[in-house]
Amino acid sequence: MEKLRDGKPDNNFWTAILWQKYAARLLLILVLLAMAVFLSLRSPFFLRPNNIKNILNQMSAYLTLSVGMSFVIVSGGIDLSVGSIIAASAVAAGAAMKAGLPVGAAILLGLLLGALIGAVSGLIISRVGINALIVTLSMMSIVRGSTILLTNGKPIFGFAKDFTWWGSAGDGLINPPIAISFGVLILGALALERTKLGRYTFAMGSNEDALRKTGVNICLYKICVYAISGLCAAITGFILAARLNTAEPLAGSGYEMDAIAAVVLGGTSIRGGSGSIGGTFIACLIFAVMRNGLNILSISSNYQQLLAGLIIMVAVGVSELRRGRAREI
Amino acid sequence: MKKRLISLALVALILISLSACGGSPPQSGAQAGAAQSGAQSGAQAGGSAPSVGATAFEQANAELEAAIAPLPEKGTGVKIGAIESTLANSFWITMQEGYEDAAAEWGVEVDVMATESETDIQGQLNIMSDMLVKDYAAIAVSPLTEQNMIPGIAQANQSGVAVVAVGNGVNEEAMAAAGASIAAFITSDFKAQGALGAEFVIAKNGGAGKVAVIEGIPGATQSDARRDGALETFAAAGLEVLPVQTGNFDRQTSYDLMSALIDANPDLAGVTCGNDVMALGVVEALKDKNMLDKVTVVGVDFIEEAKASIEAGELDASVAMSPYLFGKAGLLCALKAIEGHEFPEAVIWTPLSLVSAENVAGMDGWK
Repeated sequence: MEKLRDGKPDNNFWTAILWQKYAARLLLILVLLAMAVFLSLRSPFFLRPNNIKNILNQMSAYLTLSVGMSFVIVSGGIDLSVGSIIAASAVAAGAAMKAGLPVGAAILLGLLLGALIGAVSGLIISRVGINALIVTLSMMSIVRGSTILLTNGKPIFGFAKDFTWWGSAGDGLINPPIAISFGVLILGALALERTKLGRYTFAMGSNEDALRKTGVNICLYKICVYAISGLCAAITGFILAARLNTAEPLAGSGYEMDAIAAVVLGGTSIRGGSGSIGGTFIACLIFAVMRNGLNILSISSNYQQLLAGLIIMVAVGVSELRRGRAREI
Repeated sequence: MKKRLISLALVALILISLSACGGSPPQSGAQAGAAQSGAQSGAQAGGSAPSVGATAFEQANAELEAAIAPLPEKGTGVKIGAIESTLANSFWITMQEGYEDAAAEWGVEVDVMATESETDIQGQLNIMSDMLVKDYAAIAVSPLTEQNMIPGIAQANQSGVAVVAVGNGVNEEAMAAAGASIAAFITSDFKAQGALGAEFVIAKNGGAGKVAVIEGIPGATQSDARRDGALETFAAAGLEVLPVQTGNFDRQTSYDLMSALIDANPDLAGVTCGNDVMALGVVEALKDKNMLDKVTVVGVDFIEEAKASIEAGELDASVAMSPYLFGKAGLLCALKAIEGHEFPEAVIWTPLSLVSAENVAGMDGWK
């Protein structure tokens, strides 16, 4: 573990950490490039602009969700409730529009609900002191259950053009979902790597007690971290609802696992304290290219799950092995 | 170090290439008895015993071909894409066989893709948009919900790729709003499945007695339709029906339900269940109470276990539909859509068959 002073790694360790960070990043980029080369040799369709757009468009939901999850995992926590928040916020926005609220207000309501659910999780975790896994697992169930109850399990559909535009396929290489996800990516990276909130997030993950002793209001920052995750989940829900023109109470089931997988593959330690949004981004690209590639090659989805598991196991295994060796040295 | 990393990355890629080479076409073609079209165009097989010399499956196959006639041209070599739900369910695996065997018989190519789970609505849409990058002439899709494939269907319409729906339908209103359309819709009459089972119970008990209906998951299309079909049939026959119970398609839940139900209503004459798994749970409960021979139990789906149970004289009947013929119908309708055929019927029904101890022997080879 890196020594900490004011939540900052000691300068002596800085170069070593940089190397550590970029070596892991390099491995991911190599995997991505190898996949891309392989797929473009195997299929003439892979490099078509239409397909590149498909990949980015399909990645947009996962990327947005994974950026939020990065904050939580870097802080040493976990958020299993994001899949349920996707459905809850989308259903709330959908119901608000059906009740006659203007589109902008309904979207805002959905996003606020997501952030609020996250904030409540953060509050319980930090104030009551229950393990994050247990709190967000319960929250996942509570939120999903309430969503199904309130909708009777039926989807809300048929929204105004002003709403569905946000999920539209678009004409050029960029469409609204892609633009939103890259906006979230850039803001997330800036927040995690350039702000006080980001520094404290890292510090919470590596040594929470030390941070507490410096007099930082941990409760506040934990609430912020989980609210960011909830907000990102709500944005994901917004993208999906706008794209499918329907708010499904069962939407987003299992997405939390995809987000955790992307964050971990991206080099963020599951124990917290280290990681980067950039790594998460490359990991999301790897998964998106893999899914798209298997579809393009018409390979059964059963292999998708198998491959995703293998990729995570190998990549995380390699980075843990190297970390172990670095510690011995 | 770097070498080791690269070789690890390559392992993953080798796995991809291996699986890509493995997809040889399946051999076993269902040799369709020549389409002697004696069947009505609605292709609603009643519970009647199969005709002499043909198995029930061959008869159903002939009925389906009659319903789709005129059949598309063979040997065109076009490429069809098919999108199903998860291959973790044997229904969809058998349907995939139906697609692939029919493609081999008609001399065309088909790629069948499936989602990771029953709820992966976004993933299913992704498969469709990935398929549209390629050169399929038509796509057959079994949407997970009434809504989720509409953007993909609209996109396909724009690129001139014909779409047919197989199994679950697409919400007409939402589809019209998105300016999208499908060429044909192939499904099974879920309501008729419930009605067939109820008719069997009524006939077995001479049109009298107290009956029960166990539904699957309330809100699920096929579950609700099977329940309503049974309820309406019982009501028309003037039978006393107990309040509907929810078995959630679960064996243990249904076992518990029936254990309580039979104690409260020892004069129960029959029960129809939303699927075989629930019916088998009911059978177990009745066995434990020594009431199995007093109550007629009917399920839906005709799974392997149900067949064995009917042969053993425990389960009384099951309503069979054919996932294999779903796939075949999907492929043939996709080919017809490419040829520019209009489909006069809004819905193409796949055949049903009520299987009981009387005709279970003729059900060998049903798929």
